[in-house]
Amino acid sequence: MMSNLTSTERARAMLITGAGVLIGLTMAAVGRNDPMGAHGWIVLLFCGVLFFIVGQKLYDAEPVEDRSVSYYDDPTKIGILLALFWAVVAMGMGVWVASQLAWPDLRFDAAWSSFGRIRPVHTSGVIFGFGGNALIATSFHIMQRTSRARMPDQVSPWFVLLGFNLFCVVAASGYLIGITQSKEYAEPEWYADLWLVIVWVVYFVLYIRTLARRNEPHIYVANWYYLSFILVVAILHVVNNLAIPASFSGAKSYSAFSGVQDAMVQWWYGHNAVAFFLTTGFLGMLYYFLPKRAGRPIYSYRLSILSFWGIVFFYIWVGSHHLHYTALPQWVQTLGVTFSVMLLVPSWASAGNALMTLNGAWHKVRDDATLRFMMVAAVFYGLSTFEGSFMAIRPVNALSHYTDWTVGHVHSGAMGWVAMITFGSIYALTPVLWRRETMYSWKAVEWHFWLALSGTVIYVFAMWNSGITQGLMWRTYTESGTLRFSFVDTLIAMHPYYIARAFGGLLFFTGACICFWNVVMTIRRVPHHTPAIDYPTTSEAMEPAVPAAE
Amino acid sequence: MDMTHEWYVALSKSFGLFWLLGLSVAITAYAFWPSLGGRFDKAANSILDDEDGPAQPTSTKAEDKACR
Amino acid sequence: MLKTLLKPFARVFEFQAKTHYKMERHSMALTAGIILAAGVGGFVEIAPLFTIDDTVEDVADMRVYTPLEQAGRDIYIREGCYACHSQMIRTLRDEVERYGPYSLAVESKYDHPMLWGSKRTGPDLARVGDKYSDDWQVRHLINPRDLVPQSVMPQYAFLLETPLRTDDLPGRLDALRMVGVPYTDDMIANAANDALGQARPDGDRASGVLDRYGEATAVRAFDGQNDRLTEMDALVAYLQILGNLTDVAQNTQPMAEE
Repeated sequence: MMSNLTSTERARAMLITGAGVLIGLTMAAVGRNDPMGAHGWIVLLFCGVLFFIVGQKLYDAEPVEDRSVSYYDDPTKIGILLALFWAVVAMGMGVWVASQLAWPDLRFDAAWSSFGRIRPVHTSGVIFGFGGNALIATSFHIMQRTSRARMPDQVSPWFVLLGFNLFCVVAASGYLIGITQSKEYAEPEWYADLWLVIVWVVYFVLYIRTLARRNEPHIYVANWYYLSFILVVAILHVVNNLAIPASFSGAKSYSAFSGVQDAMVQWWYGHNAVAFFLTTGFLGMLYYFLPKRAGRPIYSYRLSILSFWGIVFFYIWVGSHHLHYTALPQWVQTLGVTFSVMLLVPSWASAGNALMTLNGAWHKVRDDATLRFMMVAAVFYGLSTFEGSFMAIRPVNALSHYTDWTVGHVHSGAMGWVAMITFGSIYALTPVLWRRETMYSWKAVEWHFWLALSGTVIYVFAMWNSGITQGLMWRTYTESGTLRFSFVDTLIAMHPYYIARAFGGLLFFTGACICFWNVVMTIRRVPHHTPAIDYPTTSEAMEPAVPAAE
Repeated sequence: MDMTHEWYVALSKSFGLFWLLGLSVAITAYAFWPSLGGRFDKAANSILDDEDGPAQPTSTKAEDKACR
Repeated sequence: MLKTLLKPFARVFEFQAKTHYKMERHSMALTAGIILAAGVGGFVEIAPLFTIDDTVEDVADMRVYTPLEQAGRDIYIREGCYACHSQMIRTLRDEVERYGPYSLAVESKYDHPMLWGSKRTGPDLARVGDKYSDDWQVRHLINPRDLVPQSVMPQYAFLLETPLRTDDLPGRLDALRMVGVPYTDDMIANAANDALGQARPDGDRASGVLDRYGEATAVRAFDGQNDRLTEMDALVAYLQILGNLTDVAQNTQPMAEE
C-alpha cells in the first residue's frame, strides 16, 4: 500500500502523524494528573506506530502506476477490514452487556467492567466503529465509481479513515476509564469532539473534490445520501457538543445547555444521529449496491429523489418524540409526533423502491445470499420506520418509553437494517476490491445470513415482549386503586427475556465473526482475477490526480 | 418577555408550515420535471456498468454474476 | 455560522469559479439544499426554547449543587448510571404514584447536561433523595443484591475505597458558572473545603457549607466514615439531594388522589 504513495505524499503523511505524536505527548504531559493523560498516551501510540510505518518506507522507490487509469482503493480495503474488526469487538461487547442484565455476576469486580461503562463501548463501537468505517469505505468506493473519476489525492482519504478510527479508539477507551459526557451517542469529551470536526471537514472537502472531478453530468443519487450524512452529522455534532472544559488539562467538560433545552438539543441530535448516520448513509449504500447486485436499475429514480428530500426535511423535526409527557413544552412534543408520522411516507417510499427494484430478479434473491441480505435490510427498514412512527404517537409512547420496547426498536433498525445492508455490501464489494473471482465460501455467507436473521428476530421479539410486559406492569392497578406491582416484580418478569436477548445477540455476533473470517480467507486464498476493465474515464477534470510535484 | 416567546412560537409554527409546503412543491416539481427524465434514467442505468467505464457505451453484461 | 463553516472551502469555491463552474454548481447547490432543508427545521424547533421565561418556571428557593453533590453527579455520569435510571417523572398517573410529583423544567435548570435518561432498567431517581437512609444507599452500592436479591445493578464497592479528588472542584464550578450556574466567587474559592466540610459534620469547615448553600443543606458523613472523604460520600450526597433542590413540585402538586 505504501508503495503507491509518492515520496511527497509519504513525507506529508509523516508530517501529519508526527504532529499527532506531539499532540499526544502534550496531552499526556498536561493531563498527567487526569484520565486525559491516558488518552495522551493512546494518541501518542496510535500516531507513533503510523509514523514508523511510513518512515520505514520513506525512501522507497517512487510509484510507477499511472493514476489516471485506475481508482484508488487502498483506503477502502482497510476501511472494510476495520469495519469488520469493530463489528466483532462491539458486538462481542453487546453480548457481554446483555448477559450482565441476565446474570449480574458477569460484571466481575473491576471498575471498568460495569454495565454503565461498557454499554457505550457497545453502542459507539457499533454505530461509529462498524457503521462509520463501513460508511467511509463504501463512500470512497461509490463516489469514485459513480463519478468515474479517481480521488484527487492519496493522503486525505487516509487522514479521514485513520483519523476517524483514532476518534473511535479514544471514545471507546475513554468510556472504560470513565471519560464521558453522558450525552447518549455523543459521549466522547471535548478534545475528541474537536478532533472529529477536523476529520469531518477533510472528509467533506475530499468528497466535494471527487465530485468536482466527475465525468458524469448528473450526480448519482447515492452520493446525495452520503453528502447529507456528512453535512448534517457535522451540524448535529457541533451543536450538541458545545461545552466548556473544566480545565484544559482535564477531560471533564460541562455542556453549554442545561435541563429542558439540553434535553431538546440532545434528542434533536440523538434522533438525527439515527437519521443521518444510520439511515441516509446506508440508503446511499442501498441505492448503489442493491441495483448493481440485482443487475437492474433502481425502480424509480424520481421516487428516490423525492424520498431523499422527504427524509432530509422531515427527520430533523422528530427528536422531541423522545420527550413525551416530560417538562418539554407541549407544542414541541406535538410537532415531533406530526413529523414522525409524516416521515413514514418517504421511508416507505425508499423501502418500496428497493423492493420493487428486485421485481424480476427474485430468482437471484433466492440463490444469492448477498442480495438476500440487502432485500431483508430493505424489509427491516420498512418495518422499523413503521414501528418508529407508531411509537412516536403519544399514548403508545406512554407505554413504550423507558422500556425494552425502545431497545428492541433500535435493534430491529440496527441489526435488521444497518448491519444487514452493510454485510450485503461487504460481500458484494470484497471480490471487486481485491480482484478475486468470488468469496471464499458461499456456504459461510448462507450461514451468516440465517444466523443474522434468526438472531435479529429472537432479539426483537424478546424485547417486544419484555418492553410491553414491563410497560403494562408499571401501570397495572389493583381493585382498591393502588399500584399492583413493585419495580422489582417487573424485573423478575424480565429475566427470561434478557436471556433470550443475549442468545439472539450471540447468534448475530457469531455471524459477524464468520463474515470477518470469510473476508480474510477471500483475500488470502481465493485466486486473483483481473476484471476486463475497471478504470475511470480519461479525466478532463482540472485537478490532476498525480500531485504537481511529479 | 412573554411576548417574545409567544412571538417566536407563533413564527415557528407558521413558518414551519410554509417551509414544508414550499419545499414539497419545489422538490416534486424538480423530480417530475419532464425534461430531466432522460437524465434520471441515464443516471439510474449508469451504475450498472460503471466498472466498464464509458469507453464501451453499450456494454453487454453477462446476465448471471451471482457469484461475483 | 455558515460563513465560518464554509471558510476552509474558500479555495474550492474559487477554483470552481475559475474552471469547472458549470458542472460544480450541482454539488454546491446540493450542499446548500441539504443544509437549508435540515438546518431550518432544527432551528425553528429549538430556538424558541431559549426565550424561555415561559418554558421554565421561576422559583426562588431553587439552590445550586454543593461541590460535594456536583462531584457526586460527575461520578454518576462517569459510571454511566443514566443508561439505566431516568430522572424524569412523566405526567402520567402511575408514574406520579410510583415516584412522586412529576418533574418540572426548573428542577433540572442547573443540570449541565440533563440526565433525564431514556431507559428504566432500574427505577426513576428524580425524587430518590431522602427516600432511603445513607446507610441503605452505601450498602446497596457496595452490593445491591445484599438488599434486593433480584437486582441486576452492578456493585460499586470500589467507590468506598477511592478517595475523592477535590483539587479540581474550583475549576469545575467555574466552568459551570460560565455556562450559567450562579456560583459566587466565594463558592468557587472554597469549593474544595466545602466538599470536605459537607462530609464532616464535626469539622470546622462544616459551617461554611451552611453559610454558602443554606441552612437546610445536609451535612453528614454520607459514607459512614468520618475520617476520610471518598467517592462514595459524593455519590450518596448527590443521590440524597435528587428532587430536593426545590420544594416547588411538592407545593404545587399536593399528592392529589386522582
